[in-house]
Amino acid sequence: MSAAELSRAVQDTEFFTALRESGLPYPIVLSLHLTSIAIFGGMILMTDLRLLGWAMKSVSITDMVRQTRIWKWIGFVIMISCGILLAGAKLETYYDNPYFHLKLTFLVLVGVHALVFRKSVYGNTTALDALPTVPRVAKVAACISIVLWVGILSAGRWIAYFERPVPHRTAELVKN
Amino acid sequence: MLQIAFDPATNPLNNNEWSFPLFECIHIAMFTMSVGTIALVDFRMLGLAMRRQTPAQLLKDTSMWTLTGLIIVITSGIVIWTTDPLRYYFNPAFRYKCIALVVAVIYNYTIHRKVAQSNPSLLVGGAVAMVSLLLWISIVFAGLFYAFT
Repeated sequence: MSAAELSRAVQDTEFFTALRESGLPYPIVLSLHLTSIAIFGGMILMTDLRLLGWAMKSVSITDMVRQTRIWKWIGFVIMISCGILLAGAKLETYYDNPYFHLKLTFLVLVGVHALVFRKSVYGNTTALDALPTVPRVAKVAACISIVLWVGILSAGRWIAYFERPVPHRTAELVKN
Repeated sequence: MLQIAFDPATNPLNNNEWSFPLFECIHIAMFTMSVGTIALVDFRMLGLAMRRQTPAQLLKDTSMWTLTGLIIVITSGIVIWTTDPLRYYFNPAFRYKCIALVVAVIYNYTIHRKVAQSNPSLLVGGAVAMVSLLLWISIVFAGLFYAFT
């Protein structure tokens, strides 16, 4: 089974067909996807800006990271769940879309980012707060986070603008 | 028949492949910044996050970012609107969005601001925060429902 056939089979399941052809549920899932980006992406952004020392300066890094952590996770789960529903419903147009691949790559890198900086930044906030200035490693972590998330939302938007190239059929035309 | 002074076909955003999605990305990034910072204050007033800070303190820390986000999100929204102004004008979701946006901005800089600054009780703060969240989320929903109505 090729990737094209598999994607077709997934989006042709009863569930994804119903979602795709539904009047209200599809735009609601899409809106929830964007709403979770707005609310929980906002927390990620403000945490990054705090690490950079640009915003939330009256709040300690520890308070900023710990008091938003659970909501970032909840938002991430809602966002990914909605994303799976949206991609599944139109998988045949997504599976070979380069922007979809880019978005998935960025998402994997977000996971790598969390693991790489857990020890030095996100799990080390008490030590960071004790320092007179935010160390470079935390600022680098914040910058990478912002770049990855802007990349995810941009790649996500650009998925809709990709047109699969039409294969050249010169050989067939010549034969006929 | 409604007339407009310019022809959208001459709009640069309709004449290359990258500028329209670019403005959409700016629009999304900036509503994340504006709605996200407002929601942070709302989550605090609901007692759901940042409880070691006061609502007044959070409002002070986020207000510059909220304002910057609102200015850019509205500006980029107007730019996107110019690509097909009449279609937007006649769309019910877009009409709701415009009205709700005006209400939400006024609400944000009057009741919401005053209440957040007063470090309210959970009951008052929670009610004000719920109205704020519902208003802003409904605007995000309307932006997407535009394409489906």
